[in-house]
Amino acid sequence: MGLVVGSNPMSMDALAALLVERFAGDLDDVRIQEPDTIVARCAREKLKDVAARLKADPEVGYETLNFVAGVDHGTSFESIYHVYSWKTNTWVELHVELPRAEPEVDTVCDIWPAADWHERESWDMVGIKYLGHPDLRRILLKDDFIGHPLRKDYVDLAENHPHV
Amino acid sequence: MSERIKAVRYPKLEHFSEPNVITTTADFVFSWARSHSVFPFTYGLACCAIEMLSSGFARFDVARYGMEVFRPTPRQCDLMIVAGTLNEKMAPVLKRLYDQMSEPKWVISMGACATSGGPFYDGYNVVNGVDKVVPVDVYIPGCPPRPEALFQGLLELQGKIQQHKFVPEKPAAFEPAPAAGAGPATADEA
Amino acid sequence: MYDQFETPEPDEAVKLALRRIEESTAHGEGSDAAGLEFNEVVVNMGPQHPSTHGVLRLVVTLDGELVKDVIPVIGYLHRCKEKLAERRTYFQYIPIVDRTEYLASINCEWGYVMTVEKLAGIRPTRRAEFIRVITGELMRIASHLVAVGTFTADLSPLGTAMVFYMFRDREQILDLMEELTGARMMFNYYRFGGVRYDLPDGWVEKCREFLEMFPAKIKEYEALVDTNAVFLQRCQGKGVITQQDVVDYGITGPNARASGIELDLRRSRPYSVYPELDFEVCVEQHGDIFDRYRVRMDEMRESLKIIEQCLDMLPKGPVQLGSLRAPYVITPPPGSAYVGQENPRGEYGTYIESDGSRYPYRLKYRDPCFCNLQLFPKLLSGNKIADAVAISGSIDLVLGGIDR
Repeated sequence: MGLVVGSNPMSMDALAALLVERFAGDLDDVRIQEPDTIVARCAREKLKDVAARLKADPEVGYETLNFVAGVDHGTSFESIYHVYSWKTNTWVELHVELPRAEPEVDTVCDIWPAADWHERESWDMVGIKYLGHPDLRRILLKDDFIGHPLRKDYVDLAENHPHV
Repeated sequence: MSERIKAVRYPKLEHFSEPNVITTTADFVFSWARSHSVFPFTYGLACCAIEMLSSGFARFDVARYGMEVFRPTPRQCDLMIVAGTLNEKMAPVLKRLYDQMSEPKWVISMGACATSGGPFYDGYNVVNGVDKVVPVDVYIPGCPPRPEALFQGLLELQGKIQQHKFVPEKPAAFEPAPAAGAGPATADEA
Repeated sequence: MYDQFETPEPDEAVKLALRRIEESTAHGEGSDAAGLEFNEVVVNMGPQHPSTHGVLRLVVTLDGELVKDVIPVIGYLHRCKEKLAERRTYFQYIPIVDRTEYLASINCEWGYVMTVEKLAGIRPTRRAEFIRVITGELMRIASHLVAVGTFTADLSPLGTAMVFYMFRDREQILDLMEELTGARMMFNYYRFGGVRYDLPDGWVEKCREFLEMFPAKIKEYEALVDTNAVFLQRCQGKGVITQQDVVDYGITGPNARASGIELDLRRSRPYSVYPELDFEVCVEQHGDIFDRYRVRMDEMRESLKIIEQCLDMLPKGPVQLGSLRAPYVITPPPGSAYVGQENPRGEYGTYIESDGSRYPYRLKYRDPCFCNLQLFPKLLSGNKIADAVAISGSIDLVLGGIDR
């Protein structure tokens, strides 16, 4: 196959304009973060569609997932997808905001296979549920751990510390 | 190092024409043999494991203390060097492996994390010290401790092993069972 | 706490393995063409194992010696680093980041320090940039020595002398680093805007002596295994990572370069002074175990070239930004940043969100070994157990980074 890095180099402005044009309405607040990252927001209902189109785009296919991060913002949660395009050698950081009471979002495992463990970790640490994930269980903590530690309101429970 | 060990004069080849008998105690001989041929268990958890490995290789040669036989299975070891941070998920595994070692056994807690939690002491998943799970004989501070520090700990442990008694202590005084007229209740408890 | 003579209940991973066996037998995959039933056994290569390079647990479903399925269970070294970031100031967190990938800790510091510098808008001094490259490449060599050494130790337990020779030479590198930073492994050396200490007198000469001595050692290592028929038979053609795997799972570093992809962050997303340095990206074509080993050996040679160029180009000047001497409290403006750095294992980076206070708001690691480990079930299935051990050694895992 001969996968090559940067076979379709573009300037960041041209890339941002292209994304705004192709994803009009689905990607909000497209910003350039020097030197080679585009930061954008996306609504959670549209995530799966945007992800599939980002990956399949013939000119700027964002085919590789770098990481998925879950963040607790106090009044809401956020699921961040950092994806890489081989053709343009750029990154896109996709922020999806989730309501506090219902931190659920569709999984992107079927689009980017690497999301499997990253989403499990996000569930484990922050408690964001990924609907449709084939095997959403704890990955870093023991199976009977209570709570999601990276939430800001996490309180250390005695049940989680039998060896004290 | 034990005073008795220092006082021993090892027989030289030219002495073999003269009568040469050493009388000593079983404790002394077995402790001396045990302390100079310890089989450590490679229980490296984290970064300290790399320093433990380094101490086994060419520059810091742990073979000069007789301890180069690092066995990966607890069944064949008598010393467990816990090198690294212990967390709640790993603690039952540690206890199980400690139980699988046969007596007499010793534990060295190597590094700040194994001694008391180290730089991660306030983590929600970190056990602050291996001695909450297994009894520890020697603590080695450091993050990570240099191989020389590990050797100092091993020498301290050698001193401790030399005080180990070959013959176990007398069992506690025997308590006879209650009198036969007490009835089936005590028969259940007995 | 528990009874040592009691068989424990199967936990989630083992239950999953048993469920998968049931499902596969239910679908008629339980017997081969001759009608003989497969007898699948679930074996635990537990968290304490000499070949798993750390506290990795592999729940392996075996059919005889053939590995049918592998479920990696991690978290036995989870030290709550991401939560600790919220309680330590940016400066207090540097030693914690050191302990992520403890074999190449200076590279981990570099990834973190670069992200904070990007957030806060700090540019390091030029001399410090060169010193960072020199120390980074020295630790790259040291890390590859341990990786290849322990990998060959896996193939036959300490049978090859490689691991002894490699650790002997690693000590020379650690001597240089100890003279410079004061520590053998956890350096705590980089600062925001520079590095902590300047090069001591005579250090450059000692480094050059090392550079002269080391190429002969690499030849020595290669002479031990490169033409060994057993080594070649065990390593060639096994554990192939395809280019599609690299794209799907985000594999980076030597594992990706061994599959024919020229992905090196020092070239594709250059940072520090790498644009001014002349070095080659080492690429091999087949993606098997032998190619991964060859990429690491070649990278050691390239690192020597880089260090030599840096020593020649080393400018005079301060190694720290004057305004950032103690007290070391920085408060980056609110925002977020991610910088990926070429760790010996792949792309390592920290994603940091700042809310304007002295503590990070959220710190997330992008760890290369975490992404590489996801490939295990696919990579190990269908091989014999001995090959599985060789493959897992060649991927070069460090559990400190996987578990954080």
